[in-house]
Amino acid sequence: MAQVFSRRAGLYLQLVLLALLVLVVSGVIAWRAMTAEPNGMNETVDQPVPFSHKHHVGDIGIDCRYCHASVETSAYAGMPSIATCMTCHSQLFSDQPMLRPLIDAWQSGVPLAWRRVNQLPDFVYFDHSIHVAKGVGCASCHGRVDRMPLMRRTQPLSMAWCLDCHRDPSLQLRPREHVFDMAWAPHDTRALGDALVETYRIDRRKLMDCSICHR
Amino acid sequence: MSSMNDDSWAPWRARLAGQRGHRYWRALEDLAADASFREHVASTMPAWSQVASMDRRGFLKLLGASLAMAGLTGCGRPPEDSIVPWLRMPEGQPDADAIFYATTLCMAGEAVGVLVQTHQGRPTKIEGNPQHPASAGATGPQLQAAILDLWDPDRSMTPRRLGDIGTWDAFAADVGQWRSRFASHGAGLRILSGSIRSPTLQAQRKAWLQRFPGAKWHVHEAIDDRQALAGAQQAFGRPYRCRYRLEKADVVLSLEADLLDGGPAHLAYAWGFAQRRDPERGTMNRLYVVEGTPSATGTMADHRWAISSARIGDVLVEVAVALGMKGLPTLTPSGLSHARIAALARDLQAHRGRGLVVVGACQPPHVHALAHLVNAWLDNAGKTVVYISIDDALPGLAELCRDARAGQVETLFILQANPVYDAPADLDVSASFAKIRHTVHYGLYRDETAHICEWHLPASHPLECWSDAQSCDGSRSIAQPLIAPLYDTRSPHELLALLLGDIEQRGQAIVRNQWKALDDTAWIAALRAGVLPEMESDEPDLPVPADEVLRSWPLRQGQATELVLLWRPDPFLHDGTYANNGWLQECPRPLTQLTWGNAALVSPALAARRGLNTGDLVTLKVRGRALTLPVWVMPGQAESDITVHLGYGRTLAGRVGSEVGASAYILRTQDALWMAAGLELVRADGHVDLASTQSHDRMEGSESVRSSSLTALLAGAAMESAPTPPSLYEATQSGDYAWGMTIDLNACIGCKGCTVACQAENNIPVVGADEVRRGHAMHWIRVDRYYAGSPDAPETVHQPVPCMHCEHAPCELVCPVGATVHDSDGLNVQVYNRCVGTRFCSNNCPYKVRRFNFLQYADLTTESLKGQRNPDVTVRNRGVMEKCTYCIQRIEKAHIQADRENRAIADGEVVTACQAACPTRAIQFGNLKDSGSKVRRTRMSQRHYTLLAELNTRPRTTYLARVRNRHPDLGEDA
Repeated sequence: MAQVFSRRAGLYLQLVLLALLVLVVSGVIAWRAMTAEPNGMNETVDQPVPFSHKHHVGDIGIDCRYCHASVETSAYAGMPSIATCMTCHSQLFSDQPMLRPLIDAWQSGVPLAWRRVNQLPDFVYFDHSIHVAKGVGCASCHGRVDRMPLMRRTQPLSMAWCLDCHRDPSLQLRPREHVFDMAWAPHDTRALGDALVETYRIDRRKLMDCSICHR
Repeated sequence: MSSMNDDSWAPWRARLAGQRGHRYWRALEDLAADASFREHVASTMPAWSQVASMDRRGFLKLLGASLAMAGLTGCGRPPEDSIVPWLRMPEGQPDADAIFYATTLCMAGEAVGVLVQTHQGRPTKIEGNPQHPASAGATGPQLQAAILDLWDPDRSMTPRRLGDIGTWDAFAADVGQWRSRFASHGAGLRILSGSIRSPTLQAQRKAWLQRFPGAKWHVHEAIDDRQALAGAQQAFGRPYRCRYRLEKADVVLSLEADLLDGGPAHLAYAWGFAQRRDPERGTMNRLYVVEGTPSATGTMADHRWAISSARIGDVLVEVAVALGMKGLPTLTPSGLSHARIAALARDLQAHRGRGLVVVGACQPPHVHALAHLVNAWLDNAGKTVVYISIDDALPGLAELCRDARAGQVETLFILQANPVYDAPADLDVSASFAKIRHTVHYGLYRDETAHICEWHLPASHPLECWSDAQSCDGSRSIAQPLIAPLYDTRSPHELLALLLGDIEQRGQAIVRNQWKALDDTAWIAALRAGVLPEMESDEPDLPVPADEVLRSWPLRQGQATELVLLWRPDPFLHDGTYANNGWLQECPRPLTQLTWGNAALVSPALAARRGLNTGDLVTLKVRGRALTLPVWVMPGQAESDITVHLGYGRTLAGRVGSEVGASAYILRTQDALWMAAGLELVRADGHVDLASTQSHDRMEGSESVRSSSLTALLAGAAMESAPTPPSLYEATQSGDYAWGMTIDLNACIGCKGCTVACQAENNIPVVGADEVRRGHAMHWIRVDRYYAGSPDAPETVHQPVPCMHCEHAPCELVCPVGATVHDSDGLNVQVYNRCVGTRFCSNNCPYKVRRFNFLQYADLTTESLKGQRNPDVTVRNRGVMEKCTYCIQRIEKAHIQADRENRAIADGEVVTACQAACPTRAIQFGNLKDSGSKVRRTRMSQRHYTLLAELNTRPRTTYLARVRNRHPDLGEDA
């Protein structure tokens, strides 16, 4: 029986398959790029003013709540008004070009638009106040901001990541007085966490309900 | 809608013949068990029947394609957000989740105190103010929908002169010129406004008349109580407004008065009435209603008798005669049986000082006057009815048109009135106003009147400006703005200040100046409370009626068989002011369940005689004027009466309200504002498919709604038919709370306040008339209306149906992706981000409470509408199932609050949106595991029953049955 395909046809077939492979791979890469988060994990985000948490928190030691004032009472942590910045910067470094946008905003009355670093989808209803009240430290989700000259996202903020902790909250709990402490480290996380779940009356059944985040 | 031929009326008569007791039906066709109607119902249910016939291969192809498409919609990165913080943070807690401010809204002739929820400066939701007597914590559909008006993209945004965009400065320059011309006398200068409820505006009116002594201020309302005031004038010699104390009345006779759901103070009346309808808490009152066209009050009656509106006065005369009053005219019998009149008179006589006779605003003055005499005769005056003396009426629109035609008007300012649309047709407002040199219109929309005026000025929404108001009961309150004006608008006080040329033109200062008697502490307290402390009032006025009216009692003209046309305000659109509000247009009207349009309500008997079916076009001819509109066959309508609702047929209302329905103002004349005899009803060619929801969401089960009589209840009859059957499923929920709801059908007046409140709270979209016809209305809580008995005089029961939150939920078993599951508090939650839209859950739901986004109903593009949305609730997209969540956002908020404070959620801490809005407190919500909770107590009631209990779904939403308190002597003749 004669050969159905010539040698040449075999080569074409291989070439076509190769081209298909390249097409699919590049398609997947392009799709990944298109649908990626606006800013990736551990990528710094350009801001109108290159605000340094390292300087303000790590070096000077300003408490988180000085700027994020509603973190204990509201779903939103709250962003500082420009008046808050101006308590110091009306005097300090007010002539630095770096702070120009801030001073301009203050003088012109047009507020600054900061770019969001930690973003959740619109169908997720995250509440800062309850996490703080139950002993989840700022650093657990936001990382060691006292070591970040420029702000970046350190956690994936995916549903799986949320659920890791909601399934087993003990490992992420700390006493309330250490919530805002960036450097806090426990000796025996498990034992302490289990005790805190009891003390803070954390209802483990409720933590896995869909309705706790989605409404 | 199915068409019913002439013979199809026979079956329901046959089916009902010889039947006793309750058998509930929702539509007349239902009763007839008409085959084509069943087909129609089946075709509007979610079903494959709408899709063209499809073989297996085609189905799989479509399935594959839709999967691929669904995958593609996931392409696209999450939008990048920015955070814009305050420049200077204001006082208070602006970053807190939601803050409530007290203010006052004037809606449909009444000023009601409300609390407005704001999210970071955006007003999003309106609740009643418990401290304000006109609200008592409740709201109605119109108040709920007021928030949508604020964000309406069709609002007028800029001044216009002759249609071109103008400025306030240019207008001020014009006014300056006119002012100098009118400086000395003011003759030829006129203002036309709606009724004035604001003391500040009242003071400004006086100042304006003082400044221009020759000027005149006219008042025009298409719907007012001028006949009632004229009746008081006849009886007492001066105008009085009545205020009823329903909570003190044991026997109430309402003659066409829609106390509970129409007219000013209805929220307060509804609560007063409901307080006397709980058989477990005390004696029940007894309500008699005699009316020509069914009303919400009529549906709540223990005895409702349909009598032509034209003969209501005769009924009152017969009652007065039976009460033994003297000097009454002798009339032909009204048609109400002697036994009924006698029983009613005995009941009123037996409850002297604790009874009440009320006449509706649509009835002529002499009937009102006689009612005052009867109330005085029965010693009710001063006890169940109090009289509030009011100022003499201002000149009306008729005088203005007369003067305009005579050339006596040179400049006219029209403040928040729309006479071109809503004036009686014989006034011919457009032609009269054309003779005026300068016309200025000031209003929220560029409406029909604005288009014939030289200047149009945009008004601030009541939620954007400082003002004040006095309610019908005399309580006064301040209105404070919730947000700075969204557009280049001014408040009425600022406009008046401009017209007067005052130095002070800031709205806040004008209102503050009016209340300068209050020091700053009292002012802030008044703002915070939303109502001013009661004035020290003297002994209430107790005027003595004179019986002169009886001597001039007009004898009825015409024959008894003559047709009568009745005009009634639309329950939601009122006089047409709220026509551009999609929530109100789409909310099914309480009795017809009609949306997006009006119809001529015709009694079943007349329809059968003329061979008319619902949807057939007819032409109504009265005094040479004609209007064509579709028929709605209305059970309980008096045979000779035909009702049309006002508020439709707007031509320039906006993108929502224009060209919806037919304008009944075309037939209205000055001498016949509410009732016209000599109507001709002519069949016109054509048939209209009315968008009614009465055949939607049908529950195929036994006894979906239940009622009883008070006597049976006192004898110990329980409603629950059988104990809960055993189940093979395990009880899974295990949390600290078990949320549950009970709905008291004895209190529900069917006003639909809950439906609109839910829509506002839960970002429920408006779908439009076509989608409603397909059965795609999205309301999470519907209010079913059931009839029992003969279509000529049916009993009516309203039944609100939200999600039942079944413990053994049929929807959960069939969801392939686990998008509907139970949480640990026993809530049946819907997870939108998991839902793929199979609609299996909806098909398996016996209560038909699930709603599917067949199209992209939520408007994601109109900027201003985004401001209204509740940020705590997801805005659902196309292809997602949704349903009542028991306001989970409110539950979670309370949960977080309580958890933060390490305590349990207290009873009453979670209030659902429907519960908060309900004027009669028919809805109770709470934790069933808490033995002291109110909802648990209501579940112990003898009247408690479960909807479709035989399915053993164990719903968390349950009902308390309706009870009627019949007069014991009226057995067969009820």
